[in-house]
Amino acid sequence: MSTQPPLPTVLRDALLVTATVSAVALAVNAARPDGLPLVAGTAYETLVPCPEPGGEVAGIASEDEALRSKRSFFVDARPPADYRDWHLPAAVNVPFDWLDPTPAQVLDRLARDVAASRATRVVVYGDGGRPDSGEYLAKELFRRGIRHVSFVVGGAPALRGGGRK
Amino acid sequence: MSTPRAAAWLSVPARWYLGALFVAASLHKIANPFSFAVDVATYDILPLSLVNLTAIVLPWLELVAGAMLLLGVRTRAAALLVAGMMSVFLAALGIALAKGLDVSCGCFASQGAAEDPISLATVGRDLAWLALAVFVLVADRGLLGLEPWLARRNPHA
Repeated sequence: MSTQPPLPTVLRDALLVTATVSAVALAVNAARPDGLPLVAGTAYETLVPCPEPGGEVAGIASEDEALRSKRSFFVDARPPADYRDWHLPAAVNVPFDWLDPTPAQVLDRLARDVAASRATRVVVYGDGGRPDSGEYLAKELFRRGIRHVSFVVGGAPALRGGGRK
Repeated sequence: MSTPRAAAWLSVPARWYLGALFVAASLHKIANPFSFAVDVATYDILPLSLVNLTAIVLPWLELVAGAMLLLGVRTRAAALLVAGMMSVFLAALGIALAKGLDVSCGCFASQGAAEDPISLATVGRDLAWLALAVFVLVADRGLLGLEPWLARRNPHA
């Protein structure tokens, strides 16, 4: 059985390998058409996704009885411009931001408003896209402690198409 | 069989496993340097000026260290390099987890965080590989490697 090389020799070998490999890697990079510049000119787009809003919330159809109930509290998750353009008469606007969680004070105010309205159900509608901002805001509301939350499948377009104009 | 001899024999499959692992880990990074540079940048640890250099050199170092382990050439030096790389990876993972970053590991392929997220399990896995590299570094006696064969062919080298 062979003996082990002494540690200084191992260290020297490791440094030699590192130096040689670095030189080869740089040469290959310089030669290849898709090689990287040694120093990046601009910062990389490193979009780190936010944690997925948790909680299971039910989707309801745009003709659901809950949409006519006076015990429902409506939340519009779309941007303010869309909200100004059209919204359900009683809906409040809580725009859903795909990158930042909804501020705590906004949610606190919403929870107080829901409690004051004596509503038994919170119905959220969004842009109806895929993914749907309404569904995601509903999940976020549920995760942050607001119960009996559902979202309108198809969002605002479904509501407008369904006669609730 | 004495303990060092048994350990030396055990280190053979250990170095084959680590070698195959590092060769496999390097291939996608070498083929897709831009994707790997994005992975490196996503960890948000290195300054921008060092991101590309790391993305260029590191995969080749993984490839060569892995091949050396597989072939049994300068095995202890290769094990030292692998242990060093694993230590760096563990530090990066720890910092990213401490920051609460929801990022892809980027260990074998550039995937979204949803497919390959970093977690404490990733740290545990890397710790196991670090321990394996240290074991090879300590226990290897050149068994079933090319080096003794090369030395016999060229005794003056």
